[in-house]
Amino acid sequence: MVEFTRRSFLGTAATLSAPAIIRPAWAADTVKLGCLFSSSGTMANIEGRLNHVVRMAADGINAKGGVNGRRLEVVTSDPASDWPLYAQIGRQMLQQEKVAALFGCWTSVSRKSVLPVVEQNDGLLFYPLHFEGDENSKNIVYVNSPPASSVLPAVDYLMGAEGVGAKRFFMIGSDYVWPRTINKQLKAYWTSKGVPETAWREEYVPLGFSNFQTLVNQIRSFAAQPGGQPIVVLTVVGSSIPDFLREFANQGIRATDVPILGLDMVEADLEGLDTAPLVGHLNCWAYLQAAKAEANTTFLSEWAAYVKAKGVPFSADTVIDPMVSAYDSVQLWALAAAKAGSFDVPEVRKAFPGLSFADPSGYTLTMGSENNYVARGVFIGSVNEKQGFDILWQSPDAPKPVPFSPYG
Amino acid sequence: MVKGPGRFGFVALLLWASSLVMPPALAAEATLDRGALATALCGDGAAQAKAVEGVLRNSAEATSGDLAWAGTILRALLDRRLACLGESALVLDRAGATDGRDAATGTARPVTGGRSPVLGLRQRALIETASGAASLLTGADVELRRAGLAALERRIATVPEALLLRAASAESDPGLRAGLAAIAQSAALSSVDPARRLAAIRAVSEAPSGAAFSRLSALKADAAYGSDPAFRSALDAALARVERAVSIGNGLAVLYNGLSFASILFMAAAGLAIIFGLMGVINLAQGEFIMIGAYATYGVQEAVRRIAPGWLDAYLLAAIPVAFLTSALVGIAIEALILRHLYRRPLMSLLATWAVSLFLINGVRVAVGSQNLQFAMPPYVSGGVPLYADFVVTWNRLFAIAFAAVTLVLTLVILKRTPLGLDIRAVTQNRDMAACLGIRTRRVDRLAFGFGSGLAGLAGVALCPIYSVNPGMGANFVIDSFMVVVLGGVGTVVGTLVAALGIGGANVLIEPLYGAVAAKVIVLAGIILFLQRRPEGLFAVRRRR
Repeated sequence: MVEFTRRSFLGTAATLSAPAIIRPAWAADTVKLGCLFSSSGTMANIEGRLNHVVRMAADGINAKGGVNGRRLEVVTSDPASDWPLYAQIGRQMLQQEKVAALFGCWTSVSRKSVLPVVEQNDGLLFYPLHFEGDENSKNIVYVNSPPASSVLPAVDYLMGAEGVGAKRFFMIGSDYVWPRTINKQLKAYWTSKGVPETAWREEYVPLGFSNFQTLVNQIRSFAAQPGGQPIVVLTVVGSSIPDFLREFANQGIRATDVPILGLDMVEADLEGLDTAPLVGHLNCWAYLQAAKAEANTTFLSEWAAYVKAKGVPFSADTVIDPMVSAYDSVQLWALAAAKAGSFDVPEVRKAFPGLSFADPSGYTLTMGSENNYVARGVFIGSVNEKQGFDILWQSPDAPKPVPFSPYG
Repeated sequence: MVKGPGRFGFVALLLWASSLVMPPALAAEATLDRGALATALCGDGAAQAKAVEGVLRNSAEATSGDLAWAGTILRALLDRRLACLGESALVLDRAGATDGRDAATGTARPVTGGRSPVLGLRQRALIETASGAASLLTGADVELRRAGLAALERRIATVPEALLLRAASAESDPGLRAGLAAIAQSAALSSVDPARRLAAIRAVSEAPSGAAFSRLSALKADAAYGSDPAFRSALDAALARVERAVSIGNGLAVLYNGLSFASILFMAAAGLAIIFGLMGVINLAQGEFIMIGAYATYGVQEAVRRIAPGWLDAYLLAAIPVAFLTSALVGIAIEALILRHLYRRPLMSLLATWAVSLFLINGVRVAVGSQNLQFAMPPYVSGGVPLYADFVVTWNRLFAIAFAAVTLVLTLVILKRTPLGLDIRAVTQNRDMAACLGIRTRRVDRLAFGFGSGLAGLAGVALCPIYSVNPGMGANFVIDSFMVVVLGGVGTVVGTLVAALGIGGANVLIEPLYGAVAAKVIVLAGIILFLQRRPEGLFAVRRRR
C-alpha cells in the first residue's frame, strides 16, 4: 500500500502536468519512433487519437517481425497544443531519445515550429494533415495533400453546376498560418476565375474561440445580399468547429441555404452534435470512413479491436483521415527503412522515390523522386444524420501532388 | 388595404386568372410516371435533378394520389430510406431496414444488395422543395402543411405560382391560407400588372429581412422605377420600412448576443468572485469545476436515460442540484486536502490550484476519454425562433441567460439574507476581527469554497447546450473569469455582474467592426488601462486588513 501523503499527491499532479516524454525505452534491439501529438489543449480531442494509431501501426509491424530485424518502440509525448513546445519536445526526442523518425503535428503552425528542429538535426517528420503547401523540406514527409489536390477540387465542385453554383464566399478561419494561406490562395484562384473581390469576405477568430453568435449573424446578412449562391469556407480548427456548427444550426441555416465547406472538419468533430440540422455540409479529405475498400474494412476492425484491447479513451467506431494518414506514415517509413536496409535518415530518404502502398482509402499511395509529397486520392464528403460523412464525390485516381500553388 | 376576407377574394381572382393563362401542354403531363420517377431518383445527380424539377413543375396539376406518392418517395430519399436495386427503388420504414416496399408497385421485397443514393446539395434543395410542395397539397394535418409551406418559402423563386394558388384554394386552415396569400402576393414582384406589383411590394415589406431588402432593391433597376411615380414612391417607402426594421432587428441581435455572452462570463466568474474575494485564493482550477459540473450533467443524462427514458427531456433541470453538489464536494475536498495548508502563501496556492486543475483534466481524460460528450438536446435548448426581421432568438442562449439570472438572484439572497452569507461577508471584510467575534473562519472558508465551486458546477450545466464538453473545456474560461472578477472588484457579486455585462457587450460591439481577434485585444487593453486608474476595480469592498 502506497502511503498517500500531501507531498506525494502534489508530486503525482506535477508528474501528470509535466510535458515530459512518457515511456522511455531501454532495449537495444529496438528502434524508436517519436510521436508529437497533443493530448491536452484545444487540439486534444482530435490529435490525441493519433498517438494510439501510431502505436497500433507499430504493433502490427512488430507482429510481422519488425523492420530490419528490430522491433519498433513508440515514444509518445504531450505538447499540450502549445506550438513552441512541439519544437522543444521534438528536439528532445531527436537528441536524447534518438528516435529514427517523428510522426506528428496537426496545425501548420506546429509543423512550422518543428521544421527548423528536424532540419538542424537532420531528422524526419511525417506530417499526416492536409495543409497549405508552399513548403518542401527534405526533412518532412508530407503524407497528406496540398490544396491543389484537396481544397481546389472541392471548391470547384461547389462552384460547378454539379454542386451549388457558388458565387459568393464567406471565409472564416482560426487566426494562424494555415487558414490565412489557404484563403490567400483561394482569393487568387477566384480572381483567376473572374470572381470580383466584392464576392468574398474574410474573418478570423483566435484559436479555441467558441462564441460564434456575432459571426453567424454576419453570415446570415452576407447570405441575404444579392449576387448569387453564398457558401462558407470554414478553416477554424479544434474545438471551434463543433461550437461553430452548433450555432450555425441553431440560427436556422441549413446546408441547402448556405453550405459549409469545412476544410478541417472530420467525423470526430461531429461527435456530440445533433447532425440532423447539419446534413449536407461538406468536407474534403484524402480518406473518409465510408471509403469502400478491402483495406478500409480491415483498418476499421483493427482499430475497433485495438480500442477494446488497450482501453483507448476514444470512440472505437470513429476513424478520421489524419488517423489513416498517421497509420500510412508508419507504413511508409517501415517500407523505406526496409528498402534502405538502414535506419539512417539519409539512407531512408534515398529509398522514398518509387514507394507505394495500398492504404485504407482504396487508393495506392506513391512517392515520386521530385519531392517528399505523397500522391493521395480526393474525397468530398457530405454530413449525414449519423455524425459521419457520406461520400459525395471521389477522384478517379490519385493526382500528382503540386507542392507550390500557382495561386497566391 | 386588402385585409382578411378581401385578400382571399383576391387570391380566388388570381386563381381564375391563372387558369386562363395555363399552358395546355402542362395539363397534359398531369399523370405521373411513377416507375420512371423511381428509376430517375436512383440515377445520377443530373437525372435526379431533372426528375424532381418535373415533379415540382407539374405539382399544380398532378393528382393528389400521385403527389402523396411522390412526397413519400422523396422524403424516403432525403432520410436515406430509399434503396436502389437495379432499376427499381424500395422504400424502407427506417434507414438500414432489411426489407421494404417497391416504390412503384408497393410489393414487399428484401433489400439485400441495394444502395442508398447520396444526395448532392443541388438535388437536396430541389427535393426538399418538391417534398414540401407535396406536403402542402396533401398533408393530412395543418402542421404537416405548414412545414411544407416553410420548405417552399426557403426557395420561393423556384415555386410555380399555380402551385400556391392551388394550395390556397384547397386550404381549410385560415391562418395557413392567409400565409399562402401573402406568399402568393409577394411572389408577384415581377408581374406585368402594376396593381399586383404594388401589392407584392407591400407584402414583401410586411415581412422585413435582409433578403427582402435585396429583393426590393433589385426593383430599383426596373424601368417602372423611373417612369411610374406611384411605383417609385411605394418602393421607396417599402425600402425605408424594411431598412428600419432590419436595423432594429440587428440592434436587438447585438443586445441579445451581448447579454448571452455576458451571462456565460458571469456564470463562469460568479464562483471565482466568492473564492477569490473571500480567501484571496487565485483558483486556477475554477474552469475544471465548470468541467466537473458538465460531466455531472452528463452523468445525470445517462442515469435518466437508463431509469426513466420518458423524462429524458428534463435531465438538464434534474442535473442542476447534482452538478452543484458534485462540484461543491470536489471543491470542499480540495480545500480540506490542499488549500487549507496554504492560506498564508498565495503563490503556493496558485501553483497548487494549477496542479489540481491539471490533475482533474488528466483524471477525467483517463477515466472518461477526451472526446466531446454526446448530449441529447431537448427542444427547449435546440434551434431558435426568428423574432423580428433578421433577429433570431436561439433557445440554448436564452436558457443560459435565464440560468444566469436565477443564479444571480440566488447568490445575492444567500450572501445577503442567510447566516452563512453574513459570515462570508464578515470574513471577507475583516478575517481577524470576524474570528475574534467567534465566527469559525475555517468552517466559513470551507463552505464558501464549496459554494464557489458549486456555482462553477452550475455554469457547467448552463454551458452544456452551448459549448462542447470535454476534459479541456474549462481552460477557456479561466482567463475570462479572472478578467471579469478583477475588473468588477474583488469580492462583489454585483461588480462581477457589471463587469461581465461590460466585457460581453464590448466584445460583441467591437467584433463586427474589427474582427474577433482585435476585439479580444482591445478589451484586454481597455481593462489594463482601467485598472491603472482604478486598481480596486469597479466596485471595491471596503475592508480592513
